[in-house]
Amino acid sequence: MVKEENESPNRPDNTAFTQQRLPAWQPMLSAGIVIPGFVLIGLAFIGIGVALLITSRNIQVLELDYTGTEQNSPCFQCSDPDQQDCVCTLQFSINSLFEGPVFFYYGLSNYFQNYRRYGVSRDDGQLYGDLSYFKEPYDQCEPYRFDRNKRPIVPCGSVANCIAVYTFRLFQIVNGQQKEVPLDGKGIAWWTDYNIKFRNPTVTPLRNAFNSTAKPLFWPRPAYELDPSDPANNGFINQDFLVWMRRAALPDFRKLYRRITEGDYANGLPAGNYSLEIAYNYPVLSFSGRKMVVFSNVSWMGGKNEFLGIAYLVIGTLCVVMSVVMLIVYAKFKFPEED
Amino acid sequence: MLNRAVHAVHVHKQLVLLFIMDKDSAESGLTWQVRANQRCYHKRQQKKSFLGLRWGRCSDNQVRSYKYSVLTFLPMTLFEQFQRAANLYFLFMMALQCVPIISSIQWYISIIPLLLILSVRGVKDLINDMGRRRSDAEVNSRPCDVLVSQSFTTLHWKDLCVGDIVRIHKDQTIPADVVLLCSSEPHSLSYVETADIDGETNLKSRQALAATHDRLTSEPSECLLANFDGVVFCEEPNDGMYAFRGQLHWRGERFLLDIEHLLLRGTVLRNTLMAYGLVIYTGADTKILRNCGKIRAKRTRLEKTLNRVVIAIMVFLLLAVLLLAIGCAVFTSRVMIHKGFLSALVINGDPVYTGFLVYWSYFMLLSPAVPIMLYVTFEMIHTFHSKFINWDLEIYWSQTDCPAQARNTSLCDELGQVEYLLSDKTGTLTQNRLLFRQCCIAGEIYGDSSARAEDIEPMDLTWNPFSCGGLYMWAPALVERLRVQQCPTVRRFFTALTVCHTVMAQWKDDAPVYQAASPDEEALVGAARELGWVFLSRTRDDMVISEMGVTRHYKLLALLDFTSHRRRMSVLVREPEGALKLYCKGADIVILERLQRDCPHLESTEQALELFSKACLRTLCIAVRSVSETSWEQWSRTLARAAAMPTFDRNALLEKLHDEMEQNLQLLGVTAIEDRLQEGVPETISLLKQAGIKVWVLTGDKKETAVNIGYACKLLDPDTRLLEWQELRQILQSPDPGGHFHKIKHTELWAVEKDKAGVQTAVVLTGPELTDFDQRPEWGAKFMSLARQCQTVLCCRVTPGQKADIVTLVRKHTSSITLSIGDGANDVNMIKTAHVGVGLTGVEGGQAVQSADFSLSRFRFLQRLLLVHGRWSYQRISLFLRYFLFKTCSFALVHLWFGIFNGYSAQSLYETWFIAFYTTFYTSVQIFFVAIFEKDVSAESSLRWPELYKCGQRQELSGPLVFTSLLYALYASLVLFFIPCGVYYNTAVDYQTMAVTVSMAAVFTANIEIVLLTRHWTKFNIGAMCVSLLLYFICSRITHSKFLFQSAPADYLFYGASDEAFTDPVVWLAALLTAWTAVLPSMTFQALDVIRTVHDKHKVHSMSHQPVELRSQCKRKTSLCHSSFTINQGPV
Repeated sequence: MVKEENESPNRPDNTAFTQQRLPAWQPMLSAGIVIPGFVLIGLAFIGIGVALLITSRNIQVLELDYTGTEQNSPCFQCSDPDQQDCVCTLQFSINSLFEGPVFFYYGLSNYFQNYRRYGVSRDDGQLYGDLSYFKEPYDQCEPYRFDRNKRPIVPCGSVANCIAVYTFRLFQIVNGQQKEVPLDGKGIAWWTDYNIKFRNPTVTPLRNAFNSTAKPLFWPRPAYELDPSDPANNGFINQDFLVWMRRAALPDFRKLYRRITEGDYANGLPAGNYSLEIAYNYPVLSFSGRKMVVFSNVSWMGGKNEFLGIAYLVIGTLCVVMSVVMLIVYAKFKFPEED
Repeated sequence: MLNRAVHAVHVHKQLVLLFIMDKDSAESGLTWQVRANQRCYHKRQQKKSFLGLRWGRCSDNQVRSYKYSVLTFLPMTLFEQFQRAANLYFLFMMALQCVPIISSIQWYISIIPLLLILSVRGVKDLINDMGRRRSDAEVNSRPCDVLVSQSFTTLHWKDLCVGDIVRIHKDQTIPADVVLLCSSEPHSLSYVETADIDGETNLKSRQALAATHDRLTSEPSECLLANFDGVVFCEEPNDGMYAFRGQLHWRGERFLLDIEHLLLRGTVLRNTLMAYGLVIYTGADTKILRNCGKIRAKRTRLEKTLNRVVIAIMVFLLLAVLLLAIGCAVFTSRVMIHKGFLSALVINGDPVYTGFLVYWSYFMLLSPAVPIMLYVTFEMIHTFHSKFINWDLEIYWSQTDCPAQARNTSLCDELGQVEYLLSDKTGTLTQNRLLFRQCCIAGEIYGDSSARAEDIEPMDLTWNPFSCGGLYMWAPALVERLRVQQCPTVRRFFTALTVCHTVMAQWKDDAPVYQAASPDEEALVGAARELGWVFLSRTRDDMVISEMGVTRHYKLLALLDFTSHRRRMSVLVREPEGALKLYCKGADIVILERLQRDCPHLESTEQALELFSKACLRTLCIAVRSVSETSWEQWSRTLARAAAMPTFDRNALLEKLHDEMEQNLQLLGVTAIEDRLQEGVPETISLLKQAGIKVWVLTGDKKETAVNIGYACKLLDPDTRLLEWQELRQILQSPDPGGHFHKIKHTELWAVEKDKAGVQTAVVLTGPELTDFDQRPEWGAKFMSLARQCQTVLCCRVTPGQKADIVTLVRKHTSSITLSIGDGANDVNMIKTAHVGVGLTGVEGGQAVQSADFSLSRFRFLQRLLLVHGRWSYQRISLFLRYFLFKTCSFALVHLWFGIFNGYSAQSLYETWFIAFYTTFYTSVQIFFVAIFEKDVSAESSLRWPELYKCGQRQELSGPLVFTSLLYALYASLVLFFIPCGVYYNTAVDYQTMAVTVSMAAVFTANIEIVLLTRHWTKFNIGAMCVSLLLYFICSRITHSKFLFQSAPADYLFYGASDEAFTDPVVWLAALLTAWTAVLPSMTFQALDVIRTVHDKHKVHSMSHQPVELRSQCKRKTSLCHSSFTINQGPV
């Protein structure tokens, strides 16, 4: 063998690779595999779809629109953009127990938080607590980088500037008395956001870090005074701020505001009448947006989502129909008409 | 002292003379002046170049085929690469990304693939160029003897200069175009072999001027040559290979020079001990280098489709981007002009300007849809496919240790789409080895051609000291007759064979080696040698022959040479005994009409002729005539007179004279030579015909030979009707060629076969007839539509140029892929012209292989090359192409739909790193392995069912299907966006989670699609699949990790997104649903295909494969193939 190789140096190697004879698995598909396969996959999809739909149907959702475009809406007065510090109250009732834990969202529609130049208009260095960015914010923050007095804005940029600083207070009306429902604002943001992505500068007291900076133009209060009730919930790690800074995927979105997990309401909202006090301070009519609040409980799949279940059902059914078509085609080929 | 003064005067005189001569030479167009032995003068005139400026007159003798130098490499390679539209596009893209206001994705997203592409191409070019430099250096450093100050010194070729006197040894290649001054042979004759130039293996003689011969060879040559001070005035360098005009001015006399005095660069000196010459043209000025046109870069049809697709994608993108930009402007003006949260972001408060900027942003964002990586991967796959051809043991020829070779690595897929195979005959279909198989002497047939040549038991020829084998004939009776020496006809027959030819004998190891202008002659003289009639040597007018051991001298009086018109040759010799004899051999028709009356054995000889031609043997009649002294004297006087006449009159007279002499011949016998087919040729041709490939034969040989070979190799069926020029002309002239052709098919000529449906027709053309096509360009299309209905087309007597013209004709009037196959330098032109050129490594020069795209050792390897390698390559590459377009477009076009939901703001739906990795890591390796290993059917099956090949000819996989896959990609992009969009609409899910969902769905889609495409799962496929999927999850975790975020917060914004998403069941459910829905059409289509083909496969399997019957040519009409061959001038 060795001798032979010496005699013919140009002889190609006789290996499985060079001779294209690599061992291989060649699945031989046939109608007997393909059609039942389609049926099985279709059935599986239908199964998943049904499960999803049932789960979704079991989730209770209460949506309340308070944009105030309609005359009869309690917030009609407040929807005028010139109004300042307007408060409106929304009355609603629950017929049966709204099972807990209840999640309290606020919703906006037609609000393009995913607009590109809006999205990049933020300074992650600043938000990470890096003081060097307090003096010279990232240039993508324009036009919310410096205020009129050339003071750097902290936090700079469009996202932070447009924060929808809402205050909602929920009351249950028990015997004509308003009983405030405790709202839990802890842990509504992502763990990574709260603990790593966003950080306050290591300066105490916090406000010193913001010396010679300006608050965002739309903000009523500077960042270090976002939550007067809880000093730990201020600066960049304020939960509401964190939720807002996590951009929504699509122009109609919800954001988690609070959870109702405490006291008498740990098991949910009992049936009865409620009133929601809204500090209406974010005009949306200019971009034909709508505002709403949503109460919902959650399952293993999160909030209510009918689309997913229906889509699974549709695709599953389609697969089954397809397999029937295939069966017909198969029969046509197997038993040609001339017989 | 005195000597020097005399010399000076002499030089002065000569300069004055030169000046005068210069003037009138210039008037006659001879402006190129070469002064012998004046190195310094010519050195000054040499071309020099600096920074692109060139001056000087003549080039030096250096070959420079390399393209780059150290300085020019980078700019030139970049310039070349940016001529490709996609590369330029991406360069533009990169420039755009540096503008922060429009940069929608980071700059590294496109610089990574671009750099990769540029460096891969650059390195490849560099390696090729190094190879060229190496081969240049090899040529440039070849030795040659140059006369430098009174003695010959060995210099390199590159140091040679115009005006040098060179000495060329036997078997040396001539280094430049040289005027022959003298040689070691009598009359300063020298012989050159021009195989490397025109493919003709016969020797050509060149002769020096009588003046230089006489005066330069009388004394020790070096001294004389050193004093040679002639000046040559000749044409400027040109590309005419067969013409040269010049004058030698020497010692006050003028001598005319023509091509007979010129030794061309690249030819080889043979049979001449030494030749001395004056260098006229060097390097780039030489005729051969002027002639070698630039090699055209061949681009495959698939690559053209690919370019068209890329351009289509770009146009589509431009339109889509325009719509998006308009959308953005409208959105901006409608929503943002009002007071709102976004209004501050309108740049300069101008919606049109914002729209303009968004236009470029989208341009960038959608750029991944232009598959830039495709080109690089394409090249890598092609390289592998050509490697597989090089590695294949089935097409490795062990006898010469020669594997197949894909010299052009980018044409493999064309091999799977060939529709026209244009083949040379000599050396390609046949072995170019002619065997003396039979003869008929005095009506008696010797030898048997029914057995194969190899099976014939060799005769005992030990009695003959000159025998060296190579006679495949069993005829002990003949040997007996020869040895007994009783039969005079047999003796005369063999004397004729040994005397009547133009072969030259060379002595090697005490045995004569024959060098002949045509292989026929070589076979005849060789056969005579084996049987004891040995041609020993020849001079100008003397031939030495050993007849059964007795050496005899024949005085050669006249040689009546062969022409294609005369179809015979004769020699007039004076035998040692003093008698005058004319020996003649030629085509049967010509000889038979010149025989004396009542020639004996005529009838039996004619029968033998018929028998031989039925067995596809080339026949030649041999005849003799005694010439009386008186008629010879008279004849030779007229001949001498003719020599003094002007050319035209002379030729006419010569013809008459020759005709006069070749009369009243006495028939001696007939020789039968077998033109051996290469093994496996008929089987291969029949297989290729079944595969729908039209095989045409283009040959320099005569019509009869070509037709005969056509029958022998199953190209023509026994009952095929041959359509010749007269009929073809009528058909082409008629207004409706199709109808006319149909009519002709059913005329009374066809009455016999009328009942036979689908009778076959073949066209036979000759070179001179082809020239009519030049004058009537409208015939081309008619001819091609006719030829498409015919079985084959045989073109005979065509020149290399015409071979290429036929290829061009086919290329022009059909959209089919043509493949030329040949082995000689005469095929180079057609090999270069065809889409795919295949060269056979054979005996001839190797020129064909040099310019071919693929080289094979045997014609029969073509079946594996086309039906297996070509088919696989085509299948794999079109699969790859379609998949690649699908995966990039479906992935990138998602942004079109996302734009509607984000205010047309060019927001990316993917993380930037994902965009960078998607094409490179997550989806490329799998398809790469599919494109290398995929086999839909095994090699054995592809050969067994050649019909499978037709799919490539119809471009089933690469034509409209490519656009279908683009539509499919569009659909997939819709699904990829809208299902997650539906799931996440009006929910609390953030942008990053949605981005991860869509990217996950995109990766799943791409991988499921691969699973659907792969039929042949090797361990590499499975491994690549798993690794890529794993890589997606690992890379996502890495780019979304805390470490990277902390090092650069602005670049790794997705920190935490995948942790959240990968643990969310909704994300998984949404991604799976999306991926499944995206591949559903492909899945359904494939499933239906499976169901349908179960039926078809049944049909394919039940089809029986009939073996090719080899010897059926005897059935055919003998009148058609009554062969009449004579000494042909070798392949033209």
